Order: sequence, then structure tokens, then C-alpha cells
Amino acid sequence: MITVENLKKEYKLVKRDPGLKGAMKSLFNRKYETKHAVKGIDFTIEQGETVGYIGSNGAGKSTTIKMLTGILTPTSGKVTVNGLVPYENRQKNAVNIGAVFGQRTQLFWDIPVRESYNLLKHIYEIPEQEYQETIEMFTEVLNLESLLGIPVRQLSLGQKMRCELAAAFLHRPKVVYLDEPTIGLDIAVKVKIRKFIKEMNQRWGTTVLLTTHDMQDIEEICDRIIIIDGGTILYDGGLDEIKKQFGQKRVIHFELADKEKFELPSALNGQVEVLPNEEETKISLSFDHEAVKSSFVISEMMSMYEIGDLNIADPKIETIVEDLYNKQEQGEEHEKVLANS
Amino acid sequence: MRKYWQIAKGRMQENTAYSAWYWAGTASAVMRLLIIYFFWQAVYANQTTIQNINLETMLTYIVIAMLLQGFVGGVGNELAENIKDGQVAIELMRPYDMIFKMFAVDIGGKIMYLIQGTIPMLLIAYFFMDISFPKSPETILLFGVSALAGIWIGTFFDFLVGVLAFWTVNVWGVRVLKESLITFFSGALVPITLFPDWLRTITEFLPFQAMVYLPVSIFSGLISGTEAYMALGVQLFWLVSLYVLVRFIWSQAIKQITIFGG
Repeated sequence: MITVENLKKEYKLVKRDPGLKGAMKSLFNRKYETKHAVKGIDFTIEQGETVGYIGSNGAGKSTTIKMLTGILTPTSGKVTVNGLVPYENRQKNAVNIGAVFGQRTQLFWDIPVRESYNLLKHIYEIPEQEYQETIEMFTEVLNLESLLGIPVRQLSLGQKMRCELAAAFLHRPKVVYLDEPTIGLDIAVKVKIRKFIKEMNQRWGTTVLLTTHDMQDIEEICDRIIIIDGGTILYDGGLDEIKKQFGQKRVIHFELADKEKFELPSALNGQVEVLPNEEETKISLSFDHEAVKSSFVISEMMSMYEIGDLNIADPKIETIVEDLYNKQEQGEEHEKVLANS
Repeated sequence: MRKYWQIAKGRMQENTAYSAWYWAGTASAVMRLLIIYFFWQAVYANQTTIQNINLETMLTYIVIAMLLQGFVGGVGNELAENIKDGQVAIELMRPYDMIFKMFAVDIGGKIMYLIQGTIPMLLIAYFFMDISFPKSPETILLFGVSALAGIWIGTFFDFLVGVLAFWTVNVWGVRVLKESLITFFSGALVPITLFPDWLRTITEFLPFQAMVYLPVSIFSGLISGTEAYMALGVQLFWLVSLYVLVRFIWSQAIKQITIFGG
């Protein structure tokens, strides 16, 4: 469905020295700085997969999606979507794809939502009957009934996003790219949107590529994640595997009456790590879930100290990803130190 | 083809979204008509002809020029905004040719303007002002063709200015310059025959006169016979050259977006 091979994108940015002098200089002698937004990534996505594409801000997510939609031409490497090279066959590719960009609207601002859909019907040349069925179904799943007659400018953010989503799926595209579809939405709308995406995936086998900063989206919608950072892929695999691979670490926070006196119980020595905790009454212990059982750690602590409260942190995808980002950064710094020495 | 027509219809609906705005457009069109009518009445108060043009011909020229000028603009402004705020990315993901799409939007807007501005003005001009309408069917036909050509030349030119948004920071400045150039050199303000010789020569080499001056001169009888067909030839030249230029500049702009990210 989607194949990406050694895909690279570089931007040339004009580099300027500060101040007026710098501005004058740049008029005559332009210096360019090359920014490597995507540094040679590979992945393949099969028809019907739901993939979460995550990474910190500026990691290269949007750049990748733009290359998949054909809006951007890669600097080098190969992309095909459904057998087509997107930037060479932009209009043909457009028929197969749908997209939601959380920050932009694709509906017409001043006319009722229904009219926007009607226009999309003609633009994508959707047969009348198919269109009617689709609209009817979307109206039910997304509760659009009361919104169809209202101009887009009068909709709330949540209402608008529901309408945008319907617009992206209206022509039953084979692939849908969702760039932060839940940004700024309340829980109830998020739940509705996730349910809708899942249902479309199951019903039509729509391939979904989703970027988001909300890990709950990922856990509920995706069965695979690709993590990108600094333009390279850190991880590509199943959601369960990443939890197994990186998620054995457990952290328990204990509330102690007297933190000053705390010393690690000898039975836990060597297996448990004390994490820095800024709160005055709390300490945090981190350990490998496979090697030590949580119950053992807790009972050891209880036998030695007066515990006011305790809290076991879940192996959330969020913490795993955060861990991965941090490791990457440390690794980079480490490399720099090596390079300098 | 059908999708482009639907896009045009979409624009027509958008234009009727604000009804007060819509009627204000009609009122201001009629007002402008009355102002220039009385202005030229006053100019002719003490003379019967200016450079061999009598009041009736002059009024006919000015009124028709004004009607036509309403159509020589285009969607360049919108295109520039789309480019500036990045909305153009969404447009590039649609299964249509963006140039044709913009023209479809433009046609939708112009059909609305025809109903909202041109027809009321035309009715007032026909019933209350001394304007001479051409009698021969040939002139009417020639004018029709010439007017359409003029409108498209104006549309292409506007589109070109819009695409310039890629390379200039201040689109607004370029647009103001464009507006004043067109108003003056297209002959919408006064017939080009009233210009001094040197200015007229310059004007003849510019595309602006093909937008308003040539069709209106055919209508009002300032140009007739072989000259009229010559005028159509000049228009054809500009029509084709500007369209080629539009396509070329647009493909450059697309490269700019898709390679540099806008």
C-alpha cells in the first residue's frame, strides 16, 4: 500500500548574520544552511493497517506526511502510495487519499456543511447512491444531523473536527492521513472520533496513518507505531511489542513520613534504583518488572518504613516514548563528546 | 467539467452568505454609476465635443467601460492569501487542476456580480441615461467576443499578480500598483484617445488596453470595420501569451512549494 525507501528531505534555509549589517550582507552574499528534516527513512504499510506515527515537535512527521500526499517532493529516495508516486501523479493520487490536518480546514467557511459535502461529492465524482449511504452512516456515527445545515464558521472546534473527519472519509479513500485530528478537543469528542476512525478501518479496510501527541489515541486506534525523532526512525513495530521491549520498567512512588532517614532496604540492593524525586515526602523506586515483583518491593518497604501512600506508575506508552526520546538525546550528546575529545 | 461548474456554484452560494453585504454591493455599484454620469454631464456643460467625441458617445463609452471593468479583476488576491497561509497545500491534495479551479471560482463570483451589480446598472443606464446601443448585429457580436477576451485577459493578469505572492513579501503593494495601472491604462477612466500621443503609444504596447478600451470602443463605435477585427487580433495575442505565462509561472510556483515547502 505505502512503501517508503531511504526517503530524504532537505530544506535550504537562508542563514543571516544578526542586525542590519547582516541583512545587508545577505543581499549580496547569501549563505544557505541545509536542514535535514527527514534523513533516509524506510517503512512499508499494508492495506488496512492502522499506524501511529509519533515523534516530538519538529521530528519530521508532517514532512513525511506531506511527501506521502504529494505536496512535497522528496530530495531523494522512493515513495509509492497504492502504486503511484504521489508528487508525480498528484491528482490521481488525490482520489485515493483523504486527509485531516488538525490545524487547517478543508470545508468551505461560509456555506453550510451539507453544501461542502455536496461539492466534495462532485469533486471526487462519488456516485449519488454511494454518497447518500456514506452521508447517512456518517451522520449516525458522528452525530452530524444537527450540524449539516450550519455554516462552518459557526461550528465549535469539536463539531468542526467531526465534520472534517467525515469530509476526509467521504470518498472512501484507500488511505487516510490524520495529522493531529484530536488536537484541542475534549474527551467526549476524542472518544467519538477514535470510535469513528476504528469503525471506518474495519468496515472499508481503510489504511490509517495517524500523528498525534495524545498517546491515548495511539493505544485505542493503532496496532502499530512508528516513532521518528530528528528525522530518523527510532522504532517501528507492534504496540504490544514496544510495551514488552521497553515497558518492563516499573516505577513505584512511596510517601514516607520521614524521607531523611531513608535508605534502600538491603534485600533490594542492586535490583532497584532510587530515582530523584523533588517532593519532600516522596521517594521513587524503579526496577525491572521481570526480575523483581512489585509485591516484593512493596512488602520490603512496608516492613522497614511507615508508608503513607503509594502509587504504581503504569507502563504507559507515553513514558516509553519519553524514555526513547531522552535516550536518543543522551546518545547524541554522548556522540558529540566523543567527537570533541 | 462538471466539477468545475459545481465549484463555481459553490462560490455563488458563498457570495450570497451575507445578504447585507450583497445588497450593499448593488447599492455601491449604482452609486458609482450615478457619480460618473453627472461628472461627465458637468464636463460637457460648456462644450459639445472633446476631441471629436460628443457627450452621448462619451457617456456610452464611460458607462460600458465601467460595467466591463467590474469583470477584469480575478481571484489573484485569494490565490495570494492561499499561498501565504499555506492553505494551498490542501488544494494540491485535491483531484483537480488548481488553475481551472481558481478560474471556476472566479466565474462563480463574476456570475454573481453580473446579477448583483451589472444588471441593475445596465437597467438604470438603459432607461434613464442617454446611451446609444449599437444597432448592427455584427457590432454586438464583435463586442461580445471582444468583451469576453478582455475579461479573460484581465483574469489571467490578476492570476499572475496573485502568484507573485511566492516571491514578494508585500502582496498588497503589488496589488495596489496593479489596480491603478489597470484603471488608468485599460481606458476604464477615460478613453485612451484622449491621452497625449506619447502616452498613447506606450499604452498600445501594454496588455491593459485589451481589457477594457478595445471592447468598449467597439461598442461605442470609436473603432469599427477592419480596425475592430485588428483589435480582436491584438486581444487574441495577449490572451494566448498571458495564458502561457500563467501556466509557466504557476508550474514554477508549484515547484517552489513542493521543493521548498512554500
